[in-house]
Amino acid sequence: MTNSQSKNWEAGNAENVTIKQIIRMRKKIYWTGPEELDNTPVFQEAINNEFSGEQTVDAFLGDERLCETSTGRRDFLKFMGFSLTSATLAACEAPVIKAIPYVNKPEEITPGVANYYASTYCDGMDYANILVKTREGRPIFIKSNGDHGIEGGALNARINASVLGLYDSARVAGPMKNGDKITWASADADLVSAIGQGGKVVLVTPTITGPASLRAIDAFKTKYAAEHIVFDSISYSAIRKANLADYGVNAIPQYNFAKAKTIVSVGADFLSTWLTSNLYTAQYAKSRKPENGAMARHYQFEANLSLTGSNADYRSAVKPSEYGTVVKAIFSKLLSKAGQSGVNASLDGLDAALIDKATNDLWSSKGNALVVCGSNDLNIQRTVNAINALLGNYAAGGTIDLTNPLNLGKGDEADLARLIAEMSSGSVGTVVLWDVNPVYHSHQGEAFKKALAKPATTVAISLYADETASNCKYILPGTHYLESWSDHSLLGSRVDLAQPVISPLYDSRQAQESLLRWTGVQSSFYDFLRETHGKDELTWNMGVHNGTFVSQPILTVDVVMSADAISVANAITATGSEWEIEFYQKTGIGSGTQANNPWLQELPDPVTKITWDNYATMSLLDVESNGLNKYIAQKDHASVIKLTVNGKEVELPVFPQPGQKQGTIGIALGYGRGANGELVGKAAYQTGTKGEHLTGADGTPISVGKNAFALLTAKENAVQYYATGISWEKTGATYPLASTQIHSTVMGRDGVVKETEIATFLSEKDKKRGEASFNKFVKLGVHQDINGDGKIDAQDALHVKEFDLWAPHPVEGVGHRWGMTIDLTSCTGCGACVTACHSENNVPVVGKDEVLVHRDMHWMRIDRFYSSDYSLERGEAEGVGVIASYGKMERPSDNPQTVHMPMMCQHCNHAPCETVCPVSATTHSNEGLNQMTYNRCIGTRYCANNCPYKVRRFNWFNYTAYSKFKNVNPAQDEISRMVLNPDVTVRTRGVMEKCSMCVQRIQGGKLEAKKAGMPVADGAIVSACAEACPTHAIQFGDLNDAKSKVQSISDNVRSYNALEEVGTQPNIYYLAKVRNMDSNSNEA
Amino acid sequence: MHREAAIREPLILGHKTYKDITDDVVGPIINPAPRPWYILITITGLIALYGIGCIMYLIGTGIGVWGLNKTVDWAWDITNFVWWVGIGHAGTLISAVLLLFRQKWRMAINRSAEAMTIFAVIMAATFPGIHMGRLWVGYWVLPLPNQFGSLWVNFNSPLLWDVFAISTYFSVSLVFWYIGLIPDFATIRDRLVKPLPKKIYSILSFGWSGRAKNWTRFEEVSLVLAGIATPLVFSVHSIVSMDFATSVIPGWHTTIFPPYFVSGAVFSGFAMVLTLLLIMRKVMRLEAYIHVKHVEYMNIVIIVTGSIVGVAYLTELFVSWYSGVEYESYAFINRFSGPYSWAYWIMMTCNVISPQLFWFKKIRRNLILTFILSIVVNIGMWFERYVIIVTSLHRDYNPSSWGEFHATAMDIGIFIGTIGIFSTLFLLFARFFPVLALNELKTILKSSGESYKNDKHH
Repeated sequence: MTNSQSKNWEAGNAENVTIKQIIRMRKKIYWTGPEELDNTPVFQEAINNEFSGEQTVDAFLGDERLCETSTGRRDFLKFMGFSLTSATLAACEAPVIKAIPYVNKPEEITPGVANYYASTYCDGMDYANILVKTREGRPIFIKSNGDHGIEGGALNARINASVLGLYDSARVAGPMKNGDKITWASADADLVSAIGQGGKVVLVTPTITGPASLRAIDAFKTKYAAEHIVFDSISYSAIRKANLADYGVNAIPQYNFAKAKTIVSVGADFLSTWLTSNLYTAQYAKSRKPENGAMARHYQFEANLSLTGSNADYRSAVKPSEYGTVVKAIFSKLLSKAGQSGVNASLDGLDAALIDKATNDLWSSKGNALVVCGSNDLNIQRTVNAINALLGNYAAGGTIDLTNPLNLGKGDEADLARLIAEMSSGSVGTVVLWDVNPVYHSHQGEAFKKALAKPATTVAISLYADETASNCKYILPGTHYLESWSDHSLLGSRVDLAQPVISPLYDSRQAQESLLRWTGVQSSFYDFLRETHGKDELTWNMGVHNGTFVSQPILTVDVVMSADAISVANAITATGSEWEIEFYQKTGIGSGTQANNPWLQELPDPVTKITWDNYATMSLLDVESNGLNKYIAQKDHASVIKLTVNGKEVELPVFPQPGQKQGTIGIALGYGRGANGELVGKAAYQTGTKGEHLTGADGTPISVGKNAFALLTAKENAVQYYATGISWEKTGATYPLASTQIHSTVMGRDGVVKETEIATFLSEKDKKRGEASFNKFVKLGVHQDINGDGKIDAQDALHVKEFDLWAPHPVEGVGHRWGMTIDLTSCTGCGACVTACHSENNVPVVGKDEVLVHRDMHWMRIDRFYSSDYSLERGEAEGVGVIASYGKMERPSDNPQTVHMPMMCQHCNHAPCETVCPVSATTHSNEGLNQMTYNRCIGTRYCANNCPYKVRRFNWFNYTAYSKFKNVNPAQDEISRMVLNPDVTVRTRGVMEKCSMCVQRIQGGKLEAKKAGMPVADGAIVSACAEACPTHAIQFGDLNDAKSKVQSISDNVRSYNALEEVGTQPNIYYLAKVRNMDSNSNEA
Repeated sequence: MHREAAIREPLILGHKTYKDITDDVVGPIINPAPRPWYILITITGLIALYGIGCIMYLIGTGIGVWGLNKTVDWAWDITNFVWWVGIGHAGTLISAVLLLFRQKWRMAINRSAEAMTIFAVIMAATFPGIHMGRLWVGYWVLPLPNQFGSLWVNFNSPLLWDVFAISTYFSVSLVFWYIGLIPDFATIRDRLVKPLPKKIYSILSFGWSGRAKNWTRFEEVSLVLAGIATPLVFSVHSIVSMDFATSVIPGWHTTIFPPYFVSGAVFSGFAMVLTLLLIMRKVMRLEAYIHVKHVEYMNIVIIVTGSIVGVAYLTELFVSWYSGVEYESYAFINRFSGPYSWAYWIMMTCNVISPQLFWFKKIRRNLILTFILSIVVNIGMWFERYVIIVTSLHRDYNPSSWGEFHATAMDIGIFIGTIGIFSTLFLLFARFFPVLALNELKTILKSSGESYKNDKHH
């Protein structure tokens, strides 16, 4: 307060007291300050003055020096403009999404660095020892547990893709009762009082192998006097019963294909779905290394052309009703070699010569022979046992081990049939269904569904409100295998552990823990697990680290050929019919538990190359003679037929399948999930042109494919995976089938595929690369005396590599040169590499409509070529013109030989794609990689046109946002997108993408090596496809490293570059396929 | 004065005076447009709008709205591009090459042919633009200094050569065309009375005064530009052909492409000029200036270029067989016997057989047949590009990737749309621009005009 003001204050005090007077009058009043209170003259003056304080405008404008300031009018406008612009820009700033760091960093998690945890995959059918790759606590990739796994933890596409199921938004989010959400506490309270009330308690599970899980089940059984029924989606009960009958062991033996010298499979698809096919695939490749000299010879007798059949050296198509006859015929011939007789085998309609040949080979490789059969008929399996016993395959070191059997396939269909009867009769009060779906998977599904209405308490412990769970009173969400502790035991001799790698995403609880709660055990299942195994801390920790520990003792079984083998064989009855169906499982979908997995739906079937559907495969000859469409492509749709099977009707499109037995139809199981609109996952349903789910007339969504489980029948309580006495008729309708490959033959182009027979290979295996008769370098004649023989003639030729328009890339011998070798002999075409690539590289899923128009996005694909009966040479010999010959070469043989050829970017050192890009978006790295710079790409697509291998994939749409893909592409689902690999860019619309040889892994590996101060060790960096390959057909490494595996393999006499004549000089080397066939039987 | 032999057919029929020529050309601009013009421009305008709508949808949604796929990554887009570029060639050939060769008959047709060139090149340039996956960064094909440091374009890529070739071609053609228009704009300006149009044409004519100095410079510039434009006639389509020839795809990788593409371009360009002029002369009553003789000349060019194209087709077949390369020979066997053989035989019929009919004088002087055949030739030339692009791509090296291409509504819509845009632009040109080079025509009136030639002038 200034001096003058304080004076006024005092003066005012003397004169004005208005408010004070009012106060004295005890009226309530507010004043703004002492000035008003005292009502000073200054205050009175001030309230009359509009602008308080001295105005300086005049002074400012009157300032003579104003014009002298350096801030001119222009500057003023500049400042003004700048301020305005910066204010505007600041307002436009993009919202910042903050990444919040850990408050306390967990010791083992470093952002950007992946952690691997050993675990075990077991869904009752598939089994593998795995390592789970997690990033920042999210599991994103499944790979094999190479160090501690059975067969190196070999896995398959289904196991590989299972990580996506974790993030399924269709999973049940919390416990439910009659469709309403409840809490776990109330569910437990309800159930503890309800279980056992009013009848028998039954627990239905798939085959459970873990000792702790079984102990939990036992505790539950004891408490409630419950019955435990095992139900497997695919039944192998005949094998168990056969072993029980013959050798007194209720078990499925351990087969060892690696030890086999002769393999005969009658209808067993052991490389794709039969038992532990992933392990057999690894073993099979081991026994078939041509370099070892002795390669196992594989005979296959089957109706459909299965993946296994497509790998066979000799294959004969037989009807499924004839499997018994084939087995009987083999038995009879072997018996006669052993000097016995008595089996009356008829060879009517069979390839007698081939059976003879197979029998001779079996006999000569006694002890190392292996006969397997896919039939679920007791007598047939017992005869197979007799054959294997006769051949001495059970001996120690032999191909079959019954002393350490498989714990899988414990289900018995008789139990389920009994359960249905008991439920219907009302004697069952409580049913607990743990991860089983008999309404879908059982041939008695309808009956089961009806019977399920009877018991007072029905509980489904399930990930989904699926066909079975949706009919239960209680749905209690179980945990995904990546969310919980568990133990499994495939073989008696070891226990494998499964550990949680993420907290449960939903309000779920693992089934074992629920059983313990209801039993009254309050400890967690983890404690229960520890207690069961009773290991000391160190042993346990090692077990968790390795994912396994050696456990139980081994059985002793004395195997001798059953005394009644001959009468059993004679009891095999075969009643064939004009038309028969064989039901099979596809490599991707299996029994259909993962039908909602878009990676698996988009994985082309290894044989038909069809995605997103099941269909009726029919022989090419049958298709032709019945006037059905034999060419399936974009606009050429498959003919739909109506099948009548066991009184049930189903309409399916017909796929013409070379190699299919005439008079048979193959139908894949595992499709038609959620046909009544159950919530089994977005990808299980068909989508329309806008990406919406297609619905039927009653509004229920239409499933992908048709359910074939409902068509199955049982024989003496064993489900039979074939049907006879069926009929079909044309409907006249057509249906599009989306295939990734519409042309089946290689058109005589041995620049693409090179193959030979074992004898030729062995006689030339010491030749130098490029000189063998089956794998010659491509040379071009030049007008120069190259060989120095004094004259210029046709012998003067240079390798195609010498002809080049561009300067060579300096990659050979300088730094790293990443490359791959792919052994076509080892590759079975299983497709594990395709899903591995999908999950590693965030490859978009595009759905059926896009696959139909050839827009699948697979970076990695497996080309499947059938042999043709025709060739240009044959055309010349027969006097048929070249043009007509080419036409005939498009048709595969009726029983073709097959080649599976993995195909991805070849990382050419003279890449045609690199020269044509106008903006240099695709360039060559100095490590030999053909690299794609997405953010430089403008999308002219010339590179894709100019690629001789056609491996480049264009982002036709914005797959991560365009509504057309909302139900197929996991990247569009808020939860599913958590599976995306943070190391790999999700590509935008309009750019080209392709195999990068997992450049993110290469960079990571190089960084590790740099930190360690060591050169990159061979094998330290592995691409996703090579990592997933169960047969190690794909090898990855540094071609410049003289000691690397790929370097030595690429020098092999079998090694060639695909389409070498184009001069692209790829860094991918293929090894020619060697077939274990007699050299003179090419046309077999 | 230059005199011409009496047996040569006159180039301007009837008893035209200088004033008549001016009246005939300027009349349609000054007078109100006739009703058919409005009807036509409404139709073409609607088609153009539909095409633009399709383009917007394409840009908004993605290239996937076309029928392209992993095997056939180019189809109608590049077919249309090459087709339109090819059509453009006739204009430059007529205005530049024929100018250098002092072919006076070009004067009646060069203006509209050049306009056609400009519009066709605009249509052509549309396709490489919209066919890009990311149109919004399309400017990266230009060698511009950029924020990414020394990131530069790839001079090895024929697509880059294309960018240079097409942009040079377009700018030279545009300048050439505009220079030719200046004296004619001045004539219109002088005729007009209404102030606004007079002002506009006055600006357009760059203050042309018609003095001798103006004319000298005009002649000089025309000759210089003709000199620059002539090599472009050959370079542009040669470079376009290298989009294919420098690849490794059987059926594309052939050394015959540059000359074969150039003659194909002239072939289709002349056909398109005929299609447009035969309508225009009728509608705008220009029969005296564009008459049978002009048509016959153009038909002769069509026979020559059409035959070159035919020989090229046969040469390709021969070489594919003679090379002994299995991929090459299969590509051509597939071309004429495979799934797209229908396209091949349409191409052969339209391009090789139909122009041979012009050996008959009666046919090549018959305007209706010429009109029909000109359309046939352009259909054939469209299919030529379709055959080269689609059949070569759909079955190349690896049979596992052999596929099919099927056009979608968007493929068709955008192509038809560009025809609509092109026609609209041409109609606007016919309404507001002098459709004949009237001042040039006046220079030959006394030597090649019918009445003067036969000394019947008055």
